[in-house]
Amino acid sequence: MKEEDLRDLNLPGYEIPPELTGQLAITTLDRIYNFGRRASLWPMMFGLACCAIEMICAQAGRYDMARFGMEVMRPSPRQSDVMIVAGTVTKKMVPAIIRLYNQMPEPKYVVAMGACASGGGPFKEGYNVVAGIDKFLPVDVYIPGCPPTPQALIHGMILLQQKIDKQSIKHVRWYDGKKEDSVAVPVPYLGPDLIDPRRIPEIKAKAAELAAQQQQLAPEQA
Amino acid sequence: MLTGKGILKGLGVTLKRFIDTYLDDLRWWGKRYYTPEGIAHRSSKDAKGVFTIQYPEEKLPVPEEFRYKPFLLYDEGPNGEKNIRCTSCGICAKACPPQCIWIVRGTDPQTGRPVPQPAGFWIDADICMSCGFCAEYCPFDAIKMDHNYEVASYTRNLMDMNELLKPVSYYASIRPLNYAREEEARKAKEAAKAAKGQ
Repeated sequence: MKEEDLRDLNLPGYEIPPELTGQLAITTLDRIYNFGRRASLWPMMFGLACCAIEMICAQAGRYDMARFGMEVMRPSPRQSDVMIVAGTVTKKMVPAIIRLYNQMPEPKYVVAMGACASGGGPFKEGYNVVAGIDKFLPVDVYIPGCPPTPQALIHGMILLQQKIDKQSIKHVRWYDGKKEDSVAVPVPYLGPDLIDPRRIPEIKAKAAELAAQQQQLAPEQA
Repeated sequence: MLTGKGILKGLGVTLKRFIDTYLDDLRWWGKRYYTPEGIAHRSSKDAKGVFTIQYPEEKLPVPEEFRYKPFLLYDEGPNGEKNIRCTSCGICAKACPPQCIWIVRGTDPQTGRPVPQPAGFWIDADICMSCGFCAEYCPFDAIKMDHNYEVASYTRNLMDMNELLKPVSYYASIRPLNYAREEEARKAKEAAKAAKGQ
C-alpha cells in the first residue's frame, strides 16, 4: 500500500515511529470497514432514460469514475453496492426497480440522479410516472440537474462516500435486524391503468361468467 | 489481396491515439494536468490522444451559456443593502414548464398593500429541468441560470431565498458577455427615457 492510503486510514492522535511509516496504521474497526466500503462502490448497470447517457460518460475514460473505485458496473444486483437511479421512473418500471433493490446485498445505497428520479421532474404529474423514487426507496443522495453533467454525478458520488465515512458499524440500519428499514421493500402495483397480474385468473373467470350470461340472454331476445 | 484491411486500419487509429497520449504527456511534462493552460489545451482541437479530467482537483471550464439551476439577482447598494431585482410579478412561475417556482408576494406591514418585493421565493431544484425559460421571460433581468453544478444533497433540494440570492457581480463574473449586453441595453433605455422627459 502507498503511504498516502495509510495516512487516510490512520487515526489522529496515535504517532507512528518513523521507521514504520508506510507499513503500519492504527485505526478502528469502523474506519477500516468504511474505508473498504467507500473505495469499492460498485454501481448496478442499468439506466432508465437520458440521465443514463451522462452516467455512461462519467464511467468512460474522459471522467473515469474508476479513480474512486466505482469502475465495475455490475449487471447483477447480487454483486452491486449502489443503485444509481438514472432517469424517469415509470409506473411500469417501479416494481422491477424495487425487486432489484430487494435483491441487492447489504450494505446498499441509492442515488437519485436527475430531476425525474428525485422529484418526478417535468413529469411529476404524469399519469404513468412516479414522482420521485424516494416515495418507495430510501434515497441517500439526490443529484439535481436535467441531466446532471458527469462532474455533477461524480460530486454526488463523493458526497455518498462522505456519508459512508460518517457511518458506524453499530448504527447502520442493515445489521440491526429490528428496524423497519432492514425489511424488504414491498413491491407496489401502481395505477388504475395497469392490469394487476395477480388478478388475471379472477378477471378471466368474471369474463367467462359474463359471456355465459349473455349467451343465456341472447335466445330470449331473439 | 488482404482481407480485413478495415479492421487493421481501425486498430491502427486506436494505436495512434494510444501513442499520441504518451507523446503529448512528454511534450507537456508535468503541466498537462492541474494547470489552466493544460486544461485549455486538452479541451482544444489541438489536443492529441486521450485524457481524463481529474474532477475534484481540476474542473472542466464550462461555456458561458451553460445553465444549471436558476438564481435571483440583487444589486448591492452603497451601504451594503440588497436591492432585490425581483418584483414578484410571477411571469417566471407561469413560464416554467415543470412548475417548480413558488413566489409569495410581499406586503407593506403598515398598510397591508402589496409591494413589488417577494416575501418568499422557492425553487424545487429536484424538479427544475434547467430549460432557462424563467431567465428568458423575466422582464427585469432578476432571475438567471447559474453555472454551479455541485448542488447534490442528502435531502430533497428545495432552494429558498437565502440560497437563491446572489449579487450582480457574481452574474457579471460567470456571464461577462451577457452582462455587458444587458447593461448596454439598460443604459440606452434609461437615456431614451431621460431624453423623452426633457
